[in-house]
Amino acid sequence: MSHDHDSADGELLVILRHAPHGSSWLREGLDAALVAAAFGQRVSLLFMGEGVMALVDGQEAGPLGQKGTAPTLRMLEMYDIDALWVEREALAARGLDEAALMLAPRCLEAPGIVELIDAHDLVLTF
Amino acid sequence: MRYGILLMGAPYSDQASHSALRFARALLARGHALEAVFFYHDGVYNAARLAAPPQDEPHLVDAWAALHAEHGVSLEVCIAAALRRGLLDEREAARHGKAGHSVEAPFELTGVGQLIDLGRRCDRLVTFGP
Amino acid sequence: MKLHILNRSPGVSRVHEQALAAMGPDDRLLLIEDGVQGALPGLAGAFAAIPGRLFALHEDLASRGLLARCDAAVQTVDADGFVALTEESEQTLSWY
Repeated sequence: MSHDHDSADGELLVILRHAPHGSSWLREGLDAALVAAAFGQRVSLLFMGEGVMALVDGQEAGPLGQKGTAPTLRMLEMYDIDALWVEREALAARGLDEAALMLAPRCLEAPGIVELIDAHDLVLTF
Repeated sequence: MRYGILLMGAPYSDQASHSALRFARALLARGHALEAVFFYHDGVYNAARLAAPPQDEPHLVDAWAALHAEHGVSLEVCIAAALRRGLLDEREAARHGKAGHSVEAPFELTGVGQLIDLGRRCDRLVTFGP
Repeated sequence: MKLHILNRSPGVSRVHEQALAAMGPDDRLLLIEDGVQGALPGLAGAFAAIPGRLFALHEDLASRGLLARCDAAVQTVDADGFVALTEESEQTLSWY
């Protein structure tokens, strides 16, 4: 994965701010990202606030077969969505270790969030 | 300018529908075009044709239909979000073997791709969340 | 310049912190719906970092009886002014 600054730009940035299982926000945000990528757009994801919970390893289906979002996250690569960013402060606030996350996202400090938004034509918040 | 609106709040639960309608009327009054309203998440309930609010409250479903009638605004409802929540037009009701339908024109069931397209072709896309 | 739209009160949620973290040096913040509670003097301190760039929606203040109770740092705009803010902004982000 490239770490140079130019790779931060894209057409759509989807900001995911909700944890899996508790609501459909994460799933519906990811659906929007996947569809945009299928349309050929360059899509980036930012896991912000509680959204970092989406990247915790070891998630399972919920009771009654509730699907969760981990299987969808594993499909991102197939859709060429590899610009994955995570808010470092949100990880630290939850005591989560960046090295233990799924998908090896890139960490972003607060000023980097503003730059990331600036580098995209459209930003959708979920 | 060309505007699009993304509405994700349910009517009568959140103020989002009121805010979106007010914003839609205001942008049209300023001479802009409103290409479409895309209903996603719980916003799909705005398309419930059986909604029967008390007469002294705003009828939000009718208010969207009026916006379509007066200004040709497309009312696009995410089909995946709608079907899960029991919002089916006649075609989907038949396809799923349901006795009645809960969505009708001018609301159209459509894919999330329409939202992406709306974002691409509009100068401004404004989201109203719950 | 971007317009950020916040509909949550800092009295019940920390979503405003996400909006502030995402704001560039020229970006503006508009409080709507329950967000206008953030215009009260006791809560407006949450937005001290963006002097001159804090707006609240007139209609949502009026319906809640808050028009005369706003902090001096808050500029009010009506629905027409809301649209004008979006015209001046290259894009909008909503925080809810």
